[in-house]
Amino acid sequence: MKSEKVMSTGHSKAAKEFLKNQTYAKWHDATFWAVRSKRDNMAYGLDEWEQLREKASQIKRHTITHLDEYLDLFATNAEKNGCIVHWAKDANEFNEIVYGILKNHNVKKMVKSKSMLTEECEMNPYLEAHGIEVVETDLGERIIQLKGQKPSHIVMPAIHLNHDDVGELFEEKLGSEKGNHDPTYLTYVARLSLRNEFLTADAGMTGGNFGIAETGDIVVCTNEGNADMSTSCPKLHIAAIGLEKIIPNYDCLAVFQRMLCRAGTGQPTTTFTSHFRKARPTAHPMHIVLVDNGRSEWIGNPEHWEALKCIRCGSCMNTCPVYRRSGGYSYSYFIPGPIGINLGMLRDTQAHSGNVSACTLCLSCQTVCPVKVNLGDQIYQWRQQLDEFGTANPQKKLMCKGMSAVYGNEGIYNLGTALAHWANLIPSPLMNCGLNPWAEGHKMMEFPKKPFHKLIKDLEK
Amino acid sequence: MSNKEDILKRYRANVREMYDMPDLSDIAAITYGDPLVQFIKMTESVGGHVIEVKEGQDINTLVREMYPDAKEIASNLPEVTIATRNPDTVGRARDLNGTDVGIIRGMFGVAENACVWIPQTMKEKAVMFISENLVILLPKSQIVNNMHEAYKRIEFDETYDGYGTFISGPSKTADIAQVLVMGAQAARSATILLLPE
Amino acid sequence: MKIGLFIPCYVDVVYPQVGVATYKLLKHLGLDVTYPLNQTCCGQPMANAGFEKQAIPLAEKFEDKFKEFDYVVAPSVSCTAFIKINYPRLLEGKHECITSSKIMDVIEFLHDVIKVDHPLGTFPHKVSLHNSCHGVRELGLSSPSEEHVTPFNKIKDLLNLVEGIQVLEPERPDECCGFGGMFSVEETVVSAQMGLDKIQRHMKTGARFITGPDCSCLMHMSGIAKKQGLNVEFKHVVEILAAGL
Repeated sequence: MKSEKVMSTGHSKAAKEFLKNQTYAKWHDATFWAVRSKRDNMAYGLDEWEQLREKASQIKRHTITHLDEYLDLFATNAEKNGCIVHWAKDANEFNEIVYGILKNHNVKKMVKSKSMLTEECEMNPYLEAHGIEVVETDLGERIIQLKGQKPSHIVMPAIHLNHDDVGELFEEKLGSEKGNHDPTYLTYVARLSLRNEFLTADAGMTGGNFGIAETGDIVVCTNEGNADMSTSCPKLHIAAIGLEKIIPNYDCLAVFQRMLCRAGTGQPTTTFTSHFRKARPTAHPMHIVLVDNGRSEWIGNPEHWEALKCIRCGSCMNTCPVYRRSGGYSYSYFIPGPIGINLGMLRDTQAHSGNVSACTLCLSCQTVCPVKVNLGDQIYQWRQQLDEFGTANPQKKLMCKGMSAVYGNEGIYNLGTALAHWANLIPSPLMNCGLNPWAEGHKMMEFPKKPFHKLIKDLEK
Repeated sequence: MSNKEDILKRYRANVREMYDMPDLSDIAAITYGDPLVQFIKMTESVGGHVIEVKEGQDINTLVREMYPDAKEIASNLPEVTIATRNPDTVGRARDLNGTDVGIIRGMFGVAENACVWIPQTMKEKAVMFISENLVILLPKSQIVNNMHEAYKRIEFDETYDGYGTFISGPSKTADIAQVLVMGAQAARSATILLLPE
Repeated sequence: MKIGLFIPCYVDVVYPQVGVATYKLLKHLGLDVTYPLNQTCCGQPMANAGFEKQAIPLAEKFEDKFKEFDYVVAPSVSCTAFIKINYPRLLEGKHECITSSKIMDVIEFLHDVIKVDHPLGTFPHKVSLHNSCHGVRELGLSSPSEEHVTPFNKIKDLLNLVEGIQVLEPERPDECCGFGGMFSVEETVVSAQMGLDKIQRHMKTGARFITGPDCSCLMHMSGIAKKQGLNVEFKHVVEILAAGL
């Protein structure tokens, strides 16, 4: 029985495969560390950075614990502006509402900008099954859509593909020049293709980085301008936004807008920070769909409610040494890394408990988080709950029981430590067999003849 | 009970401890000795261009010089005489496709990140994104230090009051192998013409 | 000032010389140090694996053994942090936790309480400093690279009191080594990769020794270094501070 089978999880198996390709794995780690470094430069460049983090955290704690008031205010103002506001209690209802709106407007094709919420609700396959063509317009999302893959990172979804992967994909799907894999050329090919989609789509959907309660604005931040193109040509705009994205007012928005891109990509701002209050005069009224899908339950979770502060910047993934060395596809939830581990557990403890051990508790994640979500502390707390969920690893449980017994009994502990140095004599093939997972990556340590508690007597003389 | 009431009721019932809104007036946000200098520096760093228009200089001549090969120029601004298309009078938004230069007005700039606040002031806002090249007229005295100051003064147009945006440089992406490319789905270049007072 | 010396389980068994160095150093500084017998473990390995309740009886024993001291000093940032942060919660409902406010890692103790500022031992070598995560982000031994704060490093301050030493820091100065307790046996490949990457960054400084405030990081990295045949040595900071005394 190999140790690998005994203690492994979905994540550890996938990570092992990921690391087999050392060239790729090193590139992946270096790429995300570079983004983390760019974030660092942004942080070091603002004397008020730590003050902003603290304010952002406090604004979020206030807002999400008064969210019902702010949601009501947001909806009232959005409706005053002439928008139609829908409330979806779960993913299925969200998909039904969106389909209903599209059907009412005879929509055949919808372009959309990036929305992790629509990914969460699995909206695209739902709409496709109902005969509506959905075209992703964020370049990274479009690439993985054409390839039939899921995003591997929430901000850089196609990061796992190199320019040859994309070049070959575009040759096949977009008719690009064979062998021309230059990223500038490929971006231009996508531009022309997507331009045609924007011009011929019947509807455009955006997500929402923020919703402003005081004014009813939906705020969308992009570098590409695809949210703005999606809403400037088609005559119908649907905005999808999770409950927790609503914030009180513009003074609060200033704090978050300044941090979102600095934290996530190391830029001082996204190219576009767009405020949508109502549809343009030549279009149908704007629809806004507010989505619950578990959020109204999560706020009641005593250890994990602060996960609702998250603004989906991605900086926790970039800094996570485990994410960098295992990639987004190693995690069972569609959002990877530290926030993904936590949100996955809130979503489904049975399906996603395997991710909880994909962490060394180094706490880098919560030290970069612009809104101070206590990501690492929460992972520690999820671990304490696995037993009650019935998802604790039985081997781990047994090992801990064993350790407890030894540490709890000084007699046994002293005997064990006195005999420990005999382990030095265990022949290597035996010591390094599959039952000893430590020996997979390490040479066994030497046990000195006498433990400290035997040496102290001589020192005290 | 409606979905809205259901959701709000459930949420309210589940909230445990409540927290107060912090005071935001003591945020020591960055300011610059000369915000205009910083704005220009930041605009160049995000891939935009800045041209300081001289007193009496005709922007139409200037734009012609910048884009000698431009065939289609879109603008609804009264001072722009070289426009071949008008976003106020086009039949459909998509008719603006193929615009070489779109000329629009910005209200004020933000030094810390080269953002320019641009409320929608035309019937079809597509002109701001569909144009290959974007030219933004900006009064050079209207530069604020940071987004806190910016968000205290954003305004929407009286007529086209449904949309406004901050634009910082040209559209861009690094989604293919992390190589930065200017001109993703919107303008491939952005030039700020700083107008004298 | 009565100091109780806490020597964690793995230091006791695998690195007793670190315990010896700690004891000798504190005595050299003229301090009243006692090592209460029959210590075992703080409970961190079980807690990080998800069974923190198993640490409760150990916390009770710890309280009992150390409650009479003014300070409890340990040569381990991870154990110190675990006790400081978790014992009050684990003992909630039973009684107020006394030892959590007394426990200090030996480095923060020497730096902040004793405020050592005179020359210590002799160690004329290049060393690469390993900023263990628990030390950086839980005990504040150094400024985290993630934060915009005035940089400081208490470990470096103390090491610079050692004669002849040259203290270097690797790129990614406080990236995790990948030990993480159970992580090292559950995610063996990622753990080993993180360890190897870290060792290589340390070695790139040209240092002959890698030193840090926690033996678990050093144990992990030295196991990997030996397996990979890498020529670098490991010493706990306190061994260097006490070198030649």
